[in-house]
Amino acid sequence: MSLSKKSKVILSIIVIIIIAVFAVYKYSMQPPAKIESKKVDFTGSSDELLSKIQQNAAEWQDKVVIISGKITGIDDKGFMLSSSIYCQLRDSLKVSSLTANQNISIKGRVIGYDDLLEELKLDQCIIQQQP
Amino acid sequence: MKKLTLLMFFFLSLSICAQKYYTKTGSTEFKASVQAFEPVEAKNNSTSAVLNAETGDIASLLFVKAFRFRVALMQEHFNENYMDSNKFPKATFKGKIEGFNASEISSSKEYTIKGTLTVRGVKKEIETIGKFTKQGKKLRLQASFSIKPEDFEIKIPKIVSKKIAGTINVNLDYELVEKK
Repeated sequence: MSLSKKSKVILSIIVIIIIAVFAVYKYSMQPPAKIESKKVDFTGSSDELLSKIQQNAAEWQDKVVIISGKITGIDDKGFMLSSSIYCQLRDSLKVSSLTANQNISIKGRVIGYDDLLEELKLDQCIIQQQP
Repeated sequence: MKKLTLLMFFFLSLSICAQKYYTKTGSTEFKASVQAFEPVEAKNNSTSAVLNAETGDIASLLFVKAFRFRVALMQEHFNENYMDSNKFPKATFKGKIEGFNASEISSSKEYTIKGTLTVRGVKKEIETIGKFTKQGKKLRLQASFSIKPEDFEIKIPKIVSKKIAGTINVNLDYELVEKK
């Protein structure tokens, strides 16, 4: 089948439009970014983070941090770090690999300071390394 | 002897009644979908709740930014345009479970929960039925209630008003454990 030059141009334009529409649709429907790809706003020890939060809690909402500290308590969805930060693991199955009193480094998102239970809350936590 | 018995009863009653149950990972989800349109629903798995089994007082708190949507753009609009979560990061509930008695719950029992829900700084009185189920050492609370966006001064632009339900259904599922 041979097409005239005009038909070829129109067909190419239609194909490009279909691809563009598909790309826009795919972009607008994409799920939220995973914690691995999020930019880190703070790296340090859990105590350092706590003192920064005490200065200005509102500023730290939704910030991504890499913190290290000691596990002081474990439950079925996450663990307590340094008795004052609750880290909810993105993958709750990983809880079984943790032991109390171990040092750990995690990357997580700061949700906010929970004044009901008086602790800092992090979620989407992934384990960085277990020394 | 009488004093000893009295003392024994006192301590016994303390161990039964003076209990607090709590969770840090309670699930609060809401659905505001309209049929034939994109589903509008999100789940928050980081709800905190504390229940005083002695008085029946219950309080819960969640961070609006912890609601997870399937679509990133929807989550962004929810936080920036509708909930203004930078200004109002939390939603809280403070209330009482009427006639709550933990020892009465053999497998499951329903109680009326009444209290104040505060969203975007606006308070609204809520009343709902909570189903309490004993699961080993855990106490599970499940409840549902409906709210309207206008109750909390959430303005839905006309363009999208057809895609968002007039009544939003909220479902709670909290697995409470005893506070040691």
